[in-house]
Amino acid sequence: MASPTPCFHCGLPVPAGSRFHAQVLGATRELCCPGCQAVAEAIVAGGLEHYYTHRSETAANPQNLPQALPDELALYDRAEVQAPFVQHQGELSETCLLIEGISCAACGWLIEKHLRNLPGIAEAHLNLSTQRLQVRWTDSQLPLSQLLKELRKIGYAGHPWQADSAAAQLARENRRAMRELGVAGMLWMQVMMATMATWPEFNVDLSPELDRILRWVSLFLTTPIVFYCCGQFFRGALRDLRTRHLSMDVSVSLAIGGAYVAGIWSTVTGQGELYFDAVGMFALFLLSGRYLERRARERTAAATAQLVNLLPASCLRLDADGQPRRILLSELQTGERVLVPPGALLPADGRILGGQSSIDESLLTGEYLPQPRRVGDSVTAGTLNVEGPLTVEVEALGDATRLSAIVRLLERAQSDKPRLAEIADRVAQWFLLIVLLVAALVGLAWWQIDASRAFWIVLALLVATCPCALALATPTALTAATGSLHKLGLLLTRGHVLEGLNQIDTVIFDKTGTLTEGRLALSAIHPLGELDGDACLALAAALENRSEHPIARAFGRAAQAAEQVDSVPGQGLQGSVGGRQLRIGQPAFVSQLSGQSAPPIPGAQGQWLLLGDGQGPLAWFVLDDRLRDDAPALLAACRARGWQVLLLSGDSSPMVAEVARQLGIEQARGGLTPDAKLAELKKLHAQGHRVLMLGDGVNDVPVLAGADISVAMGSATDLAKTSADAVLLSNRLSSLVQAFGLARRTRRIIVENLVWASLYNGLVLPFAALGWITPIWAALGMSLSSLLVVLNALRLTRSPKP
Amino acid sequence: MSALYILIPVALLLVGFAIWLFFWAVDSGQYDDLEGPAHSILFDDEDPMHKAGVEQAQKPDERPDNQEPPRA
Repeated sequence: MASPTPCFHCGLPVPAGSRFHAQVLGATRELCCPGCQAVAEAIVAGGLEHYYTHRSETAANPQNLPQALPDELALYDRAEVQAPFVQHQGELSETCLLIEGISCAACGWLIEKHLRNLPGIAEAHLNLSTQRLQVRWTDSQLPLSQLLKELRKIGYAGHPWQADSAAAQLARENRRAMRELGVAGMLWMQVMMATMATWPEFNVDLSPELDRILRWVSLFLTTPIVFYCCGQFFRGALRDLRTRHLSMDVSVSLAIGGAYVAGIWSTVTGQGELYFDAVGMFALFLLSGRYLERRARERTAAATAQLVNLLPASCLRLDADGQPRRILLSELQTGERVLVPPGALLPADGRILGGQSSIDESLLTGEYLPQPRRVGDSVTAGTLNVEGPLTVEVEALGDATRLSAIVRLLERAQSDKPRLAEIADRVAQWFLLIVLLVAALVGLAWWQIDASRAFWIVLALLVATCPCALALATPTALTAATGSLHKLGLLLTRGHVLEGLNQIDTVIFDKTGTLTEGRLALSAIHPLGELDGDACLALAAALENRSEHPIARAFGRAAQAAEQVDSVPGQGLQGSVGGRQLRIGQPAFVSQLSGQSAPPIPGAQGQWLLLGDGQGPLAWFVLDDRLRDDAPALLAACRARGWQVLLLSGDSSPMVAEVARQLGIEQARGGLTPDAKLAELKKLHAQGHRVLMLGDGVNDVPVLAGADISVAMGSATDLAKTSADAVLLSNRLSSLVQAFGLARRTRRIIVENLVWASLYNGLVLPFAALGWITPIWAALGMSLSSLLVVLNALRLTRSPKP
Repeated sequence: MSALYILIPVALLLVGFAIWLFFWAVDSGQYDDLEGPAHSILFDDEDPMHKAGVEQAQKPDERPDNQEPPRA
């Protein structure tokens, strides 16, 4: 099969026979759907078509954004709804919106430019790292609902955003880390000038009085570095000592604390060497390493953390007289009746009172086909109503829903998560033991030889061997590797992923949306009459043109639309094309039209739909969830590493076995509940396996949270993304294969760095023990070894060989 | 050497001022987004309106009367 043209806007394949075009950058571009067409035309009309030259990633498909209804947006114009998140300053209103659909830096440019061109907007600033838009506007000229609509026009969804305590704390920590870094940097430069002037190597003719002044000045300047900037090291050391660990923090604190206390002693007495510059350099290097690591990991993690919007923001409540009224979800009570139109998410758990439809539960259960539901059946909050309108009596809300039960399962799994040992901490432990032992021996020896020099030699030894390079070895390598992975489309949100990838021996895959595309695609057409496949497809597409059913999307958008289309939930569609009465759907339903008996379904695989008219059946359409193209390569990469591969799916259809057969997975199980998946994981853990989980749905969330390493697909639910350690933003499984390779290289670089750092410290030890090390040599050695470690780590930023 | 008696306090004052300024900048959110501005300045350079403005500014003699001011 020839690969289809990618949509110019969103990059998804353009369905065959699509008639959506737009004039962009002086050429006619093929687009996949009216959503992309509308967005592309709006961008061009706004004079912002250069967005397409700037962008480095394709845009998000506008139809994948959560749908908002016009009257839902209008709710945001109500003053009491706005009150929690909008501030007023005279004419101007100010708020912060969380933007969904941002794929690269050009999106930020597009949003800011588009909004600033609107009348009534005073200021629009998008923070690309957190994906939050700060906007100030005149409410009388441009209501908030209009502003949100403008964002949708160019393909983004805005959600009112309120800082919760976790986000506020994260922001505070970020700013504090920045301040600590800045203070350490600026003060260190001053300390260096003052301290170096007292060294004999630089000393020209320093009067004793000035020497004393300079000592006091450097003490004065070093104090904030130690107490303000290095607090985190001391706190970490204290924590590790309490749990009887010798970690990097202990080692770092010992070096900083030792050099500082000795500096005070030497300042007061006017005797001995000053190591204040080493304190500053040490603090600055380590803080930079930690700051970069923090930034690299946080990027979009902070933004996605906010979007746990599995439930709709509003719903249609039926009043006593049966009239629907749109209210906020928070106003809904149990026992009330809600109307759920087709295409809408169910706001609460409940029972169907009226109507018939099918419900898409794929995110919750992994079932890839919508399940038929009728009066009396129960439905679950967060699932999608596909076909017909439903009247539902609310039985459980908020924390009592099945959805929340999964979230609680997630919290439990997270607390049980095993911690992978970090190589740097083990090295630090040995290193520290050896240094302390040697220092004690050297101190004893010098005590016998020359008691007056013993203290200074032990101090020089501690400072010179201070594990600056050792402490930088891991964070620099991880930062560099995290940056390269981000370019590949894999976002790491937790630090242990790269190191942990090397300890994995078992991989669990989810099926729907992970190994497969997660949406139905047309896999075959079998014509039955004289009409050929293309003609049948055109007729079917015309019938399915307006439907919201996931099946309809597989047919693409047709040039012509059928008239008088009726949807019979659970059965199919009926309509007329060019005066010809047609039906598509279940064989029995379609055959009724011609009065013939229904033909048997010729195959078992996938969803079979019949198209027919008054004369008889025309064609079979086979719909299937396609395997991702790069799934076999990923499986091969896993096997090449000798990993055990499992497929655990919530889907109970024979599709599970079929996918397992195609990919050669021996251990495949379908129809699993989230609990059962978690139990499976616990069993693997009990056998001592290290598990990598790749998944996307809400039903995978507990396993994602509990696995040693978890990766969520970029198209996954937000809850899955936040509970995973890494997010495959690009949805390309091949990025994961490259990540495996990069993880291996990262480990090698970390080991190299650790070896080099230990080697330097080992080499310097005898010289320090002999008393040859003065502050200048300590400073030189420390900065050179740190530089080497950083440069070595930078090799990881070169893009890995495919 | 006596100059040091003045220069040291001056250095201390300067670093104090620099830290104050830095704290102010951090608190006003200038370091919150270290990515976006780096990109947007490049995009603006290629913006057709910006390019047209720059071209006109470079050739002021050709059309001196109805010249639009360069737009950033």
